[in-house]
Amino acid sequence: MKKLFAIVLALALALSVCATAMASEIAGTYDITVWVAEKAVELTKQQIENFNKTNELGITFNATVEAVSEADSATQMITDVEAGGDIFCFAQDQFARLVQAGALAKLGARASETVTAENDAGTVAAATSGDQLYAYPLTSDNGYFMYYDKSIIPEEDVDSLEKLIADCEAAQKYFAFEMQSSAWYNASFFFATGCKSEWTTDNDGNFISVNDTFNSPAGLIAVKGMKKLVDSPFHLSSSQGSEFASNAAIVVTGTWSFEEIKGILGDNMGVTDLPSFEVDGQEYHLGSFNGCKLMGVKPQVDAVKGAAVAQLALYLTNFDCQMERFNALAWGPSNVKAQADEAVQANPGLAALLKQAPYSVPQGQIHGSWWDIAKVISDDVKEAEDEAGLQAALDNYYNKIASLFTLDNNALLFVGAWNGWNNADDTDTYYLKDGAVTLEVPQSDYMGGRIVNPGKWDSDKGFLQVTEGKELIQDLGEDIGDNNIVFLAPGTYTVTWDGAAITIAQN
Amino acid sequence: MKQYSDLEYLRLSKGGKLLYKLGRFFTGIPRAVGNVFLKLWDLLKKGGQGIGRECADIASTFAHGDWKTKISYFIMGFGNIARGQVLRGLLFLLFEAVFIFFMVNSGAYWLSMLPSLGKQGPTEEYNFVLDTYTTKYHDNSFQILLYGVLTIFFIIAFIYTWRVNVRQNKIAEQILKSGKKLKSGKDDLRSIVDDQFHKTLLALPLTGILIFTVLPILFMILVAFTNYDGTHNGYTNSLFTWVGLDNFNTLLSWEGGAGGTQSYAATFGEVLLWTLIWAFFATFTNYFLGMFVAMAINKKGIKFKKGWRTILVMTIAIPQFISLLYVSKMFAKNGIVNGFLMDMGWIQTALPFWEDATWARITVILINIWIGIPYLMLITTGILMNIPADLYESARIDGASGWQQYRKITLPYMLFVTGPYLLTSFTGNINNFNVIYLLTGGAPTNPAASSAAGTVGYTDLLITWLFKITTGAESQYYLASVIGILVFVVIAVISLVVYNLMPSIKNEEDFR
Repeated sequence: MKKLFAIVLALALALSVCATAMASEIAGTYDITVWVAEKAVELTKQQIENFNKTNELGITFNATVEAVSEADSATQMITDVEAGGDIFCFAQDQFARLVQAGALAKLGARASETVTAENDAGTVAAATSGDQLYAYPLTSDNGYFMYYDKSIIPEEDVDSLEKLIADCEAAQKYFAFEMQSSAWYNASFFFATGCKSEWTTDNDGNFISVNDTFNSPAGLIAVKGMKKLVDSPFHLSSSQGSEFASNAAIVVTGTWSFEEIKGILGDNMGVTDLPSFEVDGQEYHLGSFNGCKLMGVKPQVDAVKGAAVAQLALYLTNFDCQMERFNALAWGPSNVKAQADEAVQANPGLAALLKQAPYSVPQGQIHGSWWDIAKVISDDVKEAEDEAGLQAALDNYYNKIASLFTLDNNALLFVGAWNGWNNADDTDTYYLKDGAVTLEVPQSDYMGGRIVNPGKWDSDKGFLQVTEGKELIQDLGEDIGDNNIVFLAPGTYTVTWDGAAITIAQN
Repeated sequence: MKQYSDLEYLRLSKGGKLLYKLGRFFTGIPRAVGNVFLKLWDLLKKGGQGIGRECADIASTFAHGDWKTKISYFIMGFGNIARGQVLRGLLFLLFEAVFIFFMVNSGAYWLSMLPSLGKQGPTEEYNFVLDTYTTKYHDNSFQILLYGVLTIFFIIAFIYTWRVNVRQNKIAEQILKSGKKLKSGKDDLRSIVDDQFHKTLLALPLTGILIFTVLPILFMILVAFTNYDGTHNGYTNSLFTWVGLDNFNTLLSWEGGAGGTQSYAATFGEVLLWTLIWAFFATFTNYFLGMFVAMAINKKGIKFKKGWRTILVMTIAIPQFISLLYVSKMFAKNGIVNGFLMDMGWIQTALPFWEDATWARITVILINIWIGIPYLMLITTGILMNIPADLYESARIDGASGWQQYRKITLPYMLFVTGPYLLTSFTGNINNFNVIYLLTGGAPTNPAASSAAGTVGYTDLLITWLFKITTGAESQYYLASVIGILVFVVIAVISLVVYNLMPSIKNEEDFR
């Protein structure tokens, strides 16, 4: 695949001469449907008009612009791809779902170059699956920071979570930080201590592995900090700006609540980055997710129309259009040049995001189920009585992730005639932290089975890299069918595994 | 448990009588279940015999029939046309022509693809000059499943029509032998609006029910045996295929997820148990409290009866959606209720109405009472007024207390009349999506529950869990379908058992 991609890329570069040939082929009138957020409908109509007037390719679009919110568009597309909008906008957490559903057309080589060059790296990564771009970055302002009521919270306390909690309890006002119902917010504590959960996708939008360090000493520090907040009777699991109207003193939310909170608090509104919490004398500054919105193009059956629509998507996400959207709707741009613009830098909401930026983590691709798994951490943390309980919360999280996906370098699956198993229902998962595994291989006609990554049960890729002790087994290679390993002699074997390679020794 | 004679039964104490009745009921269950199976077996046997008889009849008709009949076996309606019933014959012939055309044109494709649900997923091409990727779509598993089922329907309809056509020949031969005349096309047309009028009237509704009700339900049931989900949507990404009973195994397996997550079966069991508890309380609290409110308003000496009723009915006038969402906010951690209690100084910290599992469950039931009482009050008011007043009068003269009157007159009468209503509202509450979804959305989350199917909360009913599964990250339609089937089984069992115990069904003669 990579090789093919390289060839395609080389050809594409060689054929950039074709750009002129393209103009003659692509000219024409096309009927398309465009889905954008309700606020942006009028502006988008205007922008498409401008495109019709200014483009040099002779393209005219009869566009029907419909109001479909970024939250709904993915669900609607997945329900029926063919009936969906030709161009639609969505929040990046829907990206992998859309790629899996076949609802996004790949970007061509030249379009990919343009997008990569003009937008910031985090948003390009958000629009990439495997090594293929599938969408056009539209905004880069999906992050959260802290709004507070200056009349209740003294200026000097805003950098300390403990002081903020104390202030809220003293004033009998709420500290709203959506811990219980959103993994997006409660990951903040883990990023503070340097934990990560990084997922890798292949070119079809499927998740192939994860590098997750939530269940670690650093993760334990994070949940200790989290416990301070969720244990407070005045912690409120919410990210609605309207909480200020009903006795909240602090709300952690994003730029989208700015106007609303301004309306409620007026001059009492304070905006700043997230505070730090303190565990064992160490300060940890709360992190955050930094996400974006993307624009996608539906796969077209007709190549000419596909190329024309791609041209429009490129236009709608370029510097000028992003600036127009910033001026009209205060959407933070993903375009690097636009981000450097003075007006953008001066916007208070975006300024707070910028202040939080050093502690933020680009959202990248995250498996849809992760949000459901990670959001219950805070419930577990709240119920925990002691350190063991906190560790149990992390274990619970880790096991759920492990039970769903291949955790690269974290687990192996042993299936086979060892320990008396003989069929597919008798599987055992061993984790790296379990250390060595003892296998009893009884005398039988068939002393084989397979060692694979969990989740790779019936897939095309096995897992077998025996480094030490190869002489004890017959290696059946990658093409596993029913097994990939056969022991040559009965006996007791110890299998150790360091995350990359397996060592087999006869006891 | 042996059956007592009447005399022995009457000798029992009150508690003894109750125990005896309960015992009889539970010892009777195995026999009742056995009876169901016996009935099913009977049905199967009868069906089998029926098919056998039909086949024998078809064969003997062919053997004894004349050449017109024999040709009709292959060219439908030939016998009718040859014997002068042109209209009938042409209709048969037309049906056969349409059927053959459909089968050749597309039916054969749908049918041949049905076992595999498609062979070729979408393919992608890159165009160098235009620098674009285009997608070519091929088989569509979803359509194959749908139209495959439709094709099978059509084939069954064809076989039935063919059978009718064979029988027509036999009947026609017999009529001609006996020297009578056959019906002409005119007679047929007249009979459509005359002696066959019932069929004419029902033709359209029956077709509608088949296509818009039976077919979708069958389709949904079949989805439970496939792997149809977000990543196998059957058309734009990858095809889905049959997986047999795997999904049922998944849902009903006791094997926990890796490292201590609950098994699907445990999660399902917990949700089912809460669903039943919820349905029980939601139904009966509403029923009795609504009845008491109605009785209280009905009492002699209460003034402004109409006023009280109007106030209660006002709550019905406000759409449930609005009131439920509003109440959900009222009981939130920083909502009006907690705010008021804290301002009064009665509590120091907010009560966990939606944060704690038990609190949330109780709160949901209580709010449901507040919503349900007016409806029940309306229903029961009418029925209470229908109870003959002389019953109460004679009871009073005999010295019965209020409680006795209620137990011996009001309640039996009410149960008799509203028995079927209770049953339907119970099943309705099992699927009471609105109240749960709008009040809590299933919260608080159950951390131990299997996460593969979205998050499951402590107040989630099966129906809201199903909703979460279909709209969750994985869009596991197949699992939702399995749960749907199981919900149906649960409701069917409960309904059948209760229905057969109801006084209104058992002794229709009472209270006449």
